[in-house]
Amino acid sequence: MGTAHPRLSPRLTRRDLLKAGLAAGATLSAEPVLAPGRLWAQPKRGGILRVRGYDPPHFDPHQTLNFKTNNTLSFVYSKLVRHKVGAGVTPGTFTVEPDLAERWEEPDDTTVVFHLRKGVRWPNKPPLNGRELIAEDVKFTYDRFLTEKANPLKFMLDPVDRVEVVDRYTVKFRLKEPFVWLLNMLANPTGTWIVAREMVEKYGDLKRAETAVGTGPFILERYEPNVKTVFRRNPDYFRPGLPSVDGVDWLVMEDEAAQLAAYRSGQIDCGPWHQWAVRQQDLAALKKSHPQLAYQDFLSNVTTGIYMRTDKPPFNDVRVRRAISHAVDRRAIIEAVFLRGEPTPAIGRGLTEWSPRIDQLGPGAQYYRHDPKEARRLLAEAGFPQGLKTTLTVTGGYGSDVLDSFQLTQRQLKESGIEAELKVQEYGAYIATTFLGKYEGMALGPFSIAWEPHTALYGMYTPEQSRNSGHVADAKIVSMLKQQMRTKELEARRKLIFDIQRYAAEQQYYVYLYSAMFTGSWQSSVKNYAPNPSFDYGNRAAALWLDR
Amino acid sequence: MRKYVLRRLLIATSSLFLASLVVFSLPRMIPGDVVQLMLEERAYGKDLEDLRAKLGLNRPIHIQYFEWAGRVVRGELGESLWTKRPVLEELGRRLPVSLKLGLLALLFSVSIALPIGILAAIRQDSLADYVARSLAIVGLSVPGFWIATMVILLPSLWWNWSPPIQFTEFSVDPWAHVSQFIIPAFILGIASSAAIMRLTRAQLLEVLRQDYVRTAWAKGVRESGVVLKHSLKNSLIPVITVLGIQIAQILGGTVIFETIFGLPGMGRFLFDAINQRDYPVIQGVNLVIVSVVVLMNLAVDACYAYLDPRIRY
Repeated sequence: MGTAHPRLSPRLTRRDLLKAGLAAGATLSAEPVLAPGRLWAQPKRGGILRVRGYDPPHFDPHQTLNFKTNNTLSFVYSKLVRHKVGAGVTPGTFTVEPDLAERWEEPDDTTVVFHLRKGVRWPNKPPLNGRELIAEDVKFTYDRFLTEKANPLKFMLDPVDRVEVVDRYTVKFRLKEPFVWLLNMLANPTGTWIVAREMVEKYGDLKRAETAVGTGPFILERYEPNVKTVFRRNPDYFRPGLPSVDGVDWLVMEDEAAQLAAYRSGQIDCGPWHQWAVRQQDLAALKKSHPQLAYQDFLSNVTTGIYMRTDKPPFNDVRVRRAISHAVDRRAIIEAVFLRGEPTPAIGRGLTEWSPRIDQLGPGAQYYRHDPKEARRLLAEAGFPQGLKTTLTVTGGYGSDVLDSFQLTQRQLKESGIEAELKVQEYGAYIATTFLGKYEGMALGPFSIAWEPHTALYGMYTPEQSRNSGHVADAKIVSMLKQQMRTKELEARRKLIFDIQRYAAEQQYYVYLYSAMFTGSWQSSVKNYAPNPSFDYGNRAAALWLDR
Repeated sequence: MRKYVLRRLLIATSSLFLASLVVFSLPRMIPGDVVQLMLEERAYGKDLEDLRAKLGLNRPIHIQYFEWAGRVVRGELGESLWTKRPVLEELGRRLPVSLKLGLLALLFSVSIALPIGILAAIRQDSLADYVARSLAIVGLSVPGFWIATMVILLPSLWWNWSPPIQFTEFSVDPWAHVSQFIIPAFILGIASSAAIMRLTRAQLLEVLRQDYVRTAWAKGVRESGVVLKHSLKNSLIPVITVLGIQIAQILGGTVIFETIFGLPGMGRFLFDAINQRDYPVIQGVNLVIVSVVVLMNLAVDACYAYLDPRIRY
């Protein structure tokens, strides 16, 4: 823990000013030596960060892929490794850095050894009573991750054979096959938080708010369903001096008008929409009335698109899938609903390093062209000269904008002879069924998020995976996926990932539509913060400080 | 009087029984199965049948009803299927929020409606009357949620101010606690006040034309005495009756207003429970709402004797 900064006296004398001037001069002259950062980068301690949050359905990271659970847990848990945070981070880049593991090594292609930080303590309350976090905790977490029947994220660590404890501070991951993405998987802000055995044993699972006890930057002080979750600084957090803020009020705000009004009036510190952004529809007016706020654009790393039962007629015919792709006017949807964004390949455009532009997709790029005539021709060729009728399952759970885009897509499909009856499900039911491939006909929604390219591709294209919403079974793509998993050389791997996306564009198993543009925004008093499309709000909140 | 209250209580009990049947059976008719949602999303049981048995949903519906009704009589409303928290405990936190909002809305409604209704009646066909009647039409026709959105949005655009979004407990800051109810309650009261104002005006106009009022004028009684003492009380019975009905409408309106203004009342609780098919919560909340409405109407009936001593029970 760092010490608190002394408060300035409310009354300044000439002597004080002279002293301050001398001190400032000395600091400035020594600054390039002492701290290569900027002078204002000296963090202030204190203040409560008030931000738009979410009400999680429950708190068990191994029993859901719900973003609300993972967002909320990011405040209280740590991982072995994490994505870099802070003002220097460029949105769309996810650099892996140490978290609970201070270093790691790879003695061979199928072994990764992690050396844990010493002296990391669980919070000092029963049943953990401030005991030290040790290698057994890591083993327990990943054993549970890999064996929990209800864990829909198990596929992320498919290549992991077992986790072994070497000694109190060393843990070894044994792999079934070479897997270059292991570190990225462990830094993934979904489901990979290190949990305590005692909490699982005491409560049976981790669904209750009381079980959310970790070694992260904050402690969950109070959970008020549908109102807010109150986090306070973890006094035993292992990063010295952090978090700078005393706590975070994670506020549940359902009404969009109320969210924006709260941000305008300074009642919340960061943008009121998802990813602490501002809706594009509100952006121009807000920039005009509040030019003092910070704004930063970034493309989403989420792909929204149409998925369908490719294991059944008519969608097992590539001509039908290509017809669907031709039927949709991606640009029109972006301009009408989200105002800004880009048509996307399999990896969301926001993950800039791994997502090719559409014109880089080779022959598959042609199917991104809006061409109703060609769509009708392909349908006729596939045996549907009069068009086809199907269902299009969606959810209203992503907000009104996304729902508007669904209706527009439905209309565009109809113009090309694809009459899709819209079936609206509640978010919980949608995630539980349609998202995991339990539906008929077609479905539409945001369906993959990418912090590295592997997760978005492997789950969606590997047969028998619950994330394979389209029931895709294509030996060629599986073989390419396996190959990239063992390719260490970065450029060769990037080429493979681009090739997979080119092949996916030709096959149109998933009709990828767009990645929307987000504009992150925050009050000028929020320092050392940069937006990044991630569920890891906790580490970003721990890195920032408030200059109020 | 006592006999009347007892008879009304008996009727209220049968109303509650009928309402309990409705609140128990209707949620089970909503498309979508809670067991499937729970099993697939959150793995609460081994399989569908196992989870159905765990939740007691595998038995015939009438058995489930009698079990639930038995627990209600003993003062238990069961526990949430999802969170396992007792419904009564949750209601204990949320009911006061909704009641405060509802009662404050009622207070605003009456405080706006009665003076304007009286003014419109005693100055019939004057400018004041036309303005009051026009405002009433506006109040009736403009949706409350639209006014609420404007009230939140416009001050934030003009003055960088918006109503507080963080709910403050009374124990933390009593003034902040009360003030966060004022704006939503005022808006919620407006629509209700429009109807009451029009009814007050119409009833008072009718009473003002009665012979005994003319006699009072002839005797030289002052206007305030004629209106407030001799006429108003007699014109209020239908108004009070409508007020009883408005209570149910105001309670229904809290669902939207609690969401917009971030108040953790029963409305939001019920809304989420319906989405999650959380039967015990839906049943518990609805039963409480029905009970409040029935009791308030009972209180309204009891007011009649005070307003008109000729009424004998």
